[in-house]
Amino acid sequence: MPEKDRKETGTETVREEVEAAVAENLPELPPEQAEALKEKIRRRVQAEMEKELRVRAAEGRKEAARIAREERLKEKQEEKGETFLRFNRNFRFQHMVLFSSVILLVITGMPLKFPNFILSRFFINFWGGIGNSTVVHRIGAGMLIYFMVHHFVYTVLTRDGRRDFLLMLPGLQDARDIVQNIRHFLGKTPEKPHFGRFSYIEKFDYWAVYWGCVIMIGSGLFLWFETDVMRFLPKYAVDMAHEMHSDEALLATLAIVIWHFYNVHFNPDRFPGTLLWWHGQLTEHEMKEEHPREYEEIMARRAKESPEGAER
Amino acid sequence: MRKFVFAALIVGCAFLAFPGRDAPAAISLEKCTLCHGKPEFRKLLVNGAIRDVFVTQDSLKGSVHEKKVCTDCHFDVSEIPHRVQPKRVTCTHCHFKGNKEGAPQSDNVLAYFESVHGKAIAAGNSKAPLCQDCHGDHQIFKVKNPESKVSKFKVAETCGRCHMEIYAKYKTSIHGVAVGKGIPEAPSCTGCHGEHRIYAHTDPKSTVYSTSVSAQCSKCHASVVIMSKFGIEAEQVATYNESFHGVASKFGSRTVANCSSCHGVHDIRPPEDPLSTVNPKNIPATCGKCHPGATANFAVGKIHVDSKKKESGIIYWTATFFKYLTIGTMLALIVHIFLDMYGRTRRLRGEQ
Repeated sequence: MPEKDRKETGTETVREEVEAAVAENLPELPPEQAEALKEKIRRRVQAEMEKELRVRAAEGRKEAARIAREERLKEKQEEKGETFLRFNRNFRFQHMVLFSSVILLVITGMPLKFPNFILSRFFINFWGGIGNSTVVHRIGAGMLIYFMVHHFVYTVLTRDGRRDFLLMLPGLQDARDIVQNIRHFLGKTPEKPHFGRFSYIEKFDYWAVYWGCVIMIGSGLFLWFETDVMRFLPKYAVDMAHEMHSDEALLATLAIVIWHFYNVHFNPDRFPGTLLWWHGQLTEHEMKEEHPREYEEIMARRAKESPEGAER
Repeated sequence: MRKFVFAALIVGCAFLAFPGRDAPAAISLEKCTLCHGKPEFRKLLVNGAIRDVFVTQDSLKGSVHEKKVCTDCHFDVSEIPHRVQPKRVTCTHCHFKGNKEGAPQSDNVLAYFESVHGKAIAAGNSKAPLCQDCHGDHQIFKVKNPESKVSKFKVAETCGRCHMEIYAKYKTSIHGVAVGKGIPEAPSCTGCHGEHRIYAHTDPKSTVYSTSVSAQCSKCHASVVIMSKFGIEAEQVATYNESFHGVASKFGSRTVANCSSCHGVHDIRPPEDPLSTVNPKNIPATCGKCHPGATANFAVGKIHVDSKKKESGIIYWTATFFKYLTIGTMLALIVHIFLDMYGRTRRLRGEQ
């Protein structure tokens, strides 16, 4: 019991110190008054020390809990097997910027397309009226433009970005995968298509965002700076941009709500959604299940690099 | 109240004294016209103006108050010559809901006191109009009577007695010209501003408040029946409501353009008129009120554009392209999702 020892010695020293202090500062105090004063000081110091000890004990408990949690997590991870980093930190950040901006843009933009929808007024008044919601829409637009620039730089300058961009390009294999996947759905073949790093489903998502960003940002800038645009272009160009902005917004929102949400949220494998967007990790099981070709490629590369390590 | 009881007593005594109603009426008129019947009977006011107080037996003839006598309205006149100057006539003496005089039963009096005119009177503005300033004093007719000062074709002139500049603008506007031609559908002042419920345009209760004015214009301009008579397109209202201007106005923006921001308020003219604010030549200035630096390009292309109509050209084709793109994409995606769910169900049942 080292803690108790410390406490005992602590109180001993305190008693001596208090006595010394009282004797030094008030030498001619009557003994019973001095005793009362000493007792009072001692009690206060005691309370102070106990409080300090309590705080230290709480910190110790927290530390212990953290270590236990980490150990549990490690055990759990060992059960699951190896984890693979699917999305690096940069990519996860891009996705967060993208979805925050899209949420802002949809809730401030859709009420303008459907002003009679029952929630439209709520979403406009939520920001304090149409004047503020248009500002929020422009903040969302700024975030989307930032995302576009960031992603472009990421694609050009980083190794992961260049690799992913090349893997995103649609190819013949995707057509074959679509056919096989539909045959699999219909029960014509037991084999699921062997998807690589990006399945055709994910490729569609990616290129839909690409197309959507180009159309929405382009036409949105026309509407944002309408006076400057009309210095060079006639009014019907801005009207056309308005039509594109409005129609592509609906298409993009439907694509997100129907396609993306089904594939990452409502799909029974994923419901109600995974934390992949937050930690970027895939377990070995998920990797084998959803990206078998990528898994095989990783394993083959490892075998080539260190033949003895591949056995693990 | 005491005054009222007193007046009632006098009237009651009069009834007791004279068997018929015509006899005292004739006597009253005779007495009044003794002085007021002389054409030179005038009063010099403090400010030097001359007030005509000439009244004859025919003054009330034909009006709705034909059967009334002078003291029915000028009930504070009790001695001749009047020692105290008679006050202005208060129509509410009879015109209130539940009156026994047979005066029309309506809340218009109450509405008037809430209106901008009634409030100005209450605030002590002696120039603000009372009932008789619009409806006339002795020659009061029903609204449907073209002789009435508040009839369709005369009311603008009546309002214009005070609102002179506005009347001048209105008279040359398309609505003023149409009313001048005797077109009954065209709005006079009251068509937009209301009758007794007239509020300042800055008052949210007003029919011409910035967020309400487009609804007020739509009352006629959205009606195909009315607009087709004059060859004006009725879908201007729908296209405005779908545009950003219309939607923002619906959500309560007071700064966004409403009908009158572009077309003018009292000086609305057809776009072919070079003085019109929406004449292509004037569009840069009109749009420039809110979009500083607006150029002539603002006039290139239809303003009230409808993407669902083929005449809209490239905008129609853009809308059509996106329509089929959206339908096609969504069909493909939804079919894929349903196939996926079908496959999952099969596998859950153990079928392969």
